[in-house]
Amino acid sequence: MMKAYWQVTRAQLILFSRNRQVLFWSLVFPIFLMIMLGSFIGGDKKMGLNLSIQDQDHSIASKMLVQQLSQQQGIMVTEVSSIDDDKKRIQNGESRMVLVIPPSYGETLGKAVEASSKGEISANKVTELKLYLDKTNMAIAVPGMSAMNTIVGELNAQALKWKPAITVAGIALQAPDLRYIDFLVPGIVAMMIMSNNMNGVAGQIASWRERGILRRLQSTPLTSGTFIAGQITARLMLNSFQALIVLVVGFLVFGTAVKGSWLLLIAFVIMGTLAFMSIGFIIAGLAKTPESAGPIAGFVSFPLLFLGGVFFPIQNMPEWLQPVVKALPIAHLSTAIRQVMNVGADLGTLWTEAALLGGWLVGAFIIASYTFKWE
Amino acid sequence: MIEAKQLVKKYGTFTAVNGVSFEVNQGEVFGLLGPNGAGKTTTMEMIEGLRRPDGGTAIVCGYDTQTDLRRVKEVIGVQLQSTSLFDLLRVKEIIQMYAGFYANTLEIDPLLERMILTEKSQDRIKNLSGGQKQRLAIALALVHDPKVIFLDEPTTGLDPQARRTLWDIVLSLKNEGKTIVLSTHYMEEAHVLCDRICLMDRGQVVALDTPDALIRQLQFDNAIEFRLGEGSAFSSAGKDHEELERLLTLLRSVDEVKQVEVRNDTYLLYTDDLQKALTSWIASAATNHVFFTDLQTRTATLEDVFIHMTGRSLREA
Repeated sequence: MMKAYWQVTRAQLILFSRNRQVLFWSLVFPIFLMIMLGSFIGGDKKMGLNLSIQDQDHSIASKMLVQQLSQQQGIMVTEVSSIDDDKKRIQNGESRMVLVIPPSYGETLGKAVEASSKGEISANKVTELKLYLDKTNMAIAVPGMSAMNTIVGELNAQALKWKPAITVAGIALQAPDLRYIDFLVPGIVAMMIMSNNMNGVAGQIASWRERGILRRLQSTPLTSGTFIAGQITARLMLNSFQALIVLVVGFLVFGTAVKGSWLLLIAFVIMGTLAFMSIGFIIAGLAKTPESAGPIAGFVSFPLLFLGGVFFPIQNMPEWLQPVVKALPIAHLSTAIRQVMNVGADLGTLWTEAALLGGWLVGAFIIASYTFKWE
Repeated sequence: MIEAKQLVKKYGTFTAVNGVSFEVNQGEVFGLLGPNGAGKTTTMEMIEGLRRPDGGTAIVCGYDTQTDLRRVKEVIGVQLQSTSLFDLLRVKEIIQMYAGFYANTLEIDPLLERMILTEKSQDRIKNLSGGQKQRLAIALALVHDPKVIFLDEPTTGLDPQARRTLWDIVLSLKNEGKTIVLSTHYMEEAHVLCDRICLMDRGQVVALDTPDALIRQLQFDNAIEFRLGEGSAFSSAGKDHEELERLLTLLRSVDEVKQVEVRNDTYLLYTDDLQKALTSWIASAATNHVFFTDLQTRTATLEDVFIHMTGRSLREA
């Protein structure tokens, strides 16, 4: 019945607009969080490998190496005079590498160049650049080592006037010069979708049930299908509106943009809304009292926020946690929104995210339809 | 209009409703009267189709609530016991919302007028008084002009004036020819509003008739109430069982007293001939050194019917 559907939707929208708490937590708070994190954690700071260099050589050659590394995309170089601090930071789990250029660097390189120009093979000792890193942190160890090997390989080739026969051409799939804010804005959108729907539905439905509001509705010809359809429509409208506001604020304040298809972005917003609403209905169905529904939803959403790639990249998580993290619905949602916004990814590259999020949606919906009760 | 047959509802090992049967005729106000926990609400909700009976059937306007619930919902209007609505909506908005659930509905403004809510139509529900909320709940029950209206304790918790206003509304609905099922634990309300009353206690029907017939069914139409004063004989009857028995024997021996009941510290003498019984009791009290206080006489009420049927009063049950 269209009339009933429209009335349920309308009533829910009016309730949203008059509920100051909803307005604060679902709109003001995410924007506030975005601006705070964006400004203080450095919206312009680039994402990538942090590299501290201690130049013990101070030769022209070593300075050229430092400069070369600084120009490398994805590596952020800081020159330090002592590496003790940085080593400690690595031991404490910070994603960072430390490079030490030994005093013999320039001399060795110079001799090698000299020798090779005479067509001889240098008999000099090999100079080792020392790279300190956390080998258990795959997010650092693998790209760090390979980046350094590439650069050193190029240096060797130059010095020995040697031309490689085979090279690898890296084709960037992700824009390499992303700022933290570019990472954050899509995360905030994903966070809003999750908490609005999962926490919002769980709390609201449990309280309506407790207060007999659902029971009163049940005594009318309104069907549960129409009721839920109205709820979904109202929440989709709310979420799309909120996502738009966050995107506009992100654009105006930080210059973030949507590079990919808006249609695909909206499709992921819809899928996320439906998946998290279903989870919210499950929580409302399982909670014994309305007072417990909120904390249960909070208990579920809190780890999702921190593990799901909302504020921090999933790659930075410890490796043993990765399989868990990658199964979370919020991870797929935030990744998908991020890829569409930042890289302009299309459905072809995001089909795994779409499929997994869709899986969550279908699974949660089936469970929700079994656990939903009017009373 | 309504036919309830052997309705049973169990919650675990507790049987809330145990074989309740009755019929409600078109155009009558049918009262379910009983103390809290008598099973009134559960009985109503089984007829409304909100609870599935563990036994028995309920038929409303020819539709079985278990097999034809959709049709039943179209013809009934329901006000639930604990009225809770969307606090942040305005009065008119929620009526519009409920009107959206039905194919045919009444005009909203005249309905608000009847429920004395016209001035409040733009107020948020959370700002309404208890009586106004209850009238709004009834307005929502009426929005589709139902044939049968269920009102579950509509006046509980209201002040006397709000209660009177609600009575007027119920009586005007009755005059319109609506069939109304009303539950209450106020015997006075049942007497004023209901054509027939179903007395319920502990999940069962205790008696079912018109209010007057129920009272007439008692063997007496008057009651004398009193309490024992200080220094009276039998003053330890409240604690001492033998003393109580002796007092009761004395009371039963009073002329024209048909029945004696004790409710807490109040003694009740039922009689057909109030004057004879009263003079006889006063004389007897004097000779036996009984000093009473708070002496009252009154005609028998539904309360007395309930006491007579169950041995307990509505208030204490």
